[in-house]
Amino acid sequence: MKPLMKKELLLSMHPTAPLFLLLSSMLLIPNYPYYIVFFYTGLAVFFTCLSGRENHDVFYTLMLPVAKKDIVKARYAFVILLEAAQMIAAVPFAVIRQHMPLPGNQVGMDANIALFGFAFAMLGLFNSVFFSIYYRDVNEVGKAFVWSSTAVFLFITAAEACAHIVPFVRDRLDTADPRYLSEKLAVLGIGFVIGAALTWLAFRKSVRSFERLDL
Amino acid sequence: MDILEVRNLCKRYPAFELKNVSFSLEEGKITGFIGRNGAGKTTTLKSIFNFVHPDGGEIRFFGKSFSENELDIKQKVGFLSGGVDYYPKKMLKTITSITKSFYREWDEKAYEEYMKMWDLDEEKTPSQLSAGMRVKYALALALSHRAKLLILDEPTSGLDPVSRDELLDVLMELCGRGVTVLFSTHITSDLDKCADNILYIKGGRILAESDIRSFVSGYQVLEFHDALPAGALGQKLIGCRRSKNGYTALIRAEDARRMNAGAAGGDADLETIMIHIEKEGEK
Repeated sequence: MKPLMKKELLLSMHPTAPLFLLLSSMLLIPNYPYYIVFFYTGLAVFFTCLSGRENHDVFYTLMLPVAKKDIVKARYAFVILLEAAQMIAAVPFAVIRQHMPLPGNQVGMDANIALFGFAFAMLGLFNSVFFSIYYRDVNEVGKAFVWSSTAVFLFITAAEACAHIVPFVRDRLDTADPRYLSEKLAVLGIGFVIGAALTWLAFRKSVRSFERLDL
Repeated sequence: MDILEVRNLCKRYPAFELKNVSFSLEEGKITGFIGRNGAGKTTTLKSIFNFVHPDGGEIRFFGKSFSENELDIKQKVGFLSGGVDYYPKKMLKTITSITKSFYREWDEKAYEEYMKMWDLDEEKTPSQLSAGMRVKYALALALSHRAKLLILDEPTSGLDPVSRDELLDVLMELCGRGVTVLFSTHITSDLDKCADNILYIKGGRILAESDIRSFVSGYQVLEFHDALPAGALGQKLIGCRRSKNGYTALIRAEDARRMNAGAAGGDADLETIMIHIEKEGEK
């Protein structure tokens, strides 16, 4: 796995992927749909798979003495690493936003602990839809991205609507930290579990699809 | 022991089918894999490596089943689809540093020697190399992990005659060192120069597996200035076609001898044989 991860980071990764981590700073925008910040990781994954198609990444990797399952595992590990880096990079900006002398986010969810819980679930949804399509045919990167980004934008619309109209979300989750900390920590934990479960199920499905794929 | 043994390889697509493809490769020989575009060369090579999943058949490398020993076998095999066409904007040194980390028997000294011998600059990217240099770089990578078998899919396509000739020299030199080569091409003149054996695929079926001398000497080409002959001789002709001075046709050497038709004919080369056989198939 170590050489494959090295390959993912030095050959396969699109140069914009690390730059998108800087977009975590968009949490400092006073009023903004903050879920979009986490969506940029999905864009980086799309660019990486797209440039992989143009650079014959899959064919190069298949010629190496590695198992097909490990090729999928390395790609997932890379994506999880990227998503984790985005989450970690976002934390200090969320803290700064909380301490800015401004009211909370008027567009939707505040940059608080619950937002991160919802973001974990959102990234799990992205991984699930994107990779389920991508590993059925690695040339159909565009199709995978259209469907996964559609799913993510529906998620964002629903989540931001809830922040305005669902009393529990509006009054308890969409508030400054550390108010209602236990509820927010529960959302963080549940979001993480949902995100991890969706990614794990997608991984298993991707391995099966990639094994069957004719290149 | 055969270096590669393929038995009854089958793969069915809606518009094309590989039908019971069987052949084997002898150690230290160059085998030319010929056939016109779409005959099934690339599908056969991809099926051998399970890049496409065969519907049936058995593949054995070095006496071992591919499906059960894939990773060990790939350590000893180099598969080149043309030249290096991956990561065209990455420097060769980056590609090399990643590639070598996958191979147990990577020989850094051999790699440096090949790079020097073929004037390959590690600071360049594949997009800055000529087509011939990209093939040489791919060969340098394969040989540096001590590949015992090289499978080359159309390595000379797009190369100028001088680069092709240089590459053929390299392949012959490698065979002298015991490396086995399977070389798919439709440029048959390359094989006239370097191949020991020939494997001819037509319409997804192996038409001939032979050493190149017996294959070529098994045919003669006949020229007719006025009209094509009728009768028994006419029936034995293969792939009659118009030429500048009339007509040409292929005939099996034994038929030519039996019918005393040799006077009208001459030796055939691979290209002539292939053109006439493919012409016959169009009827």
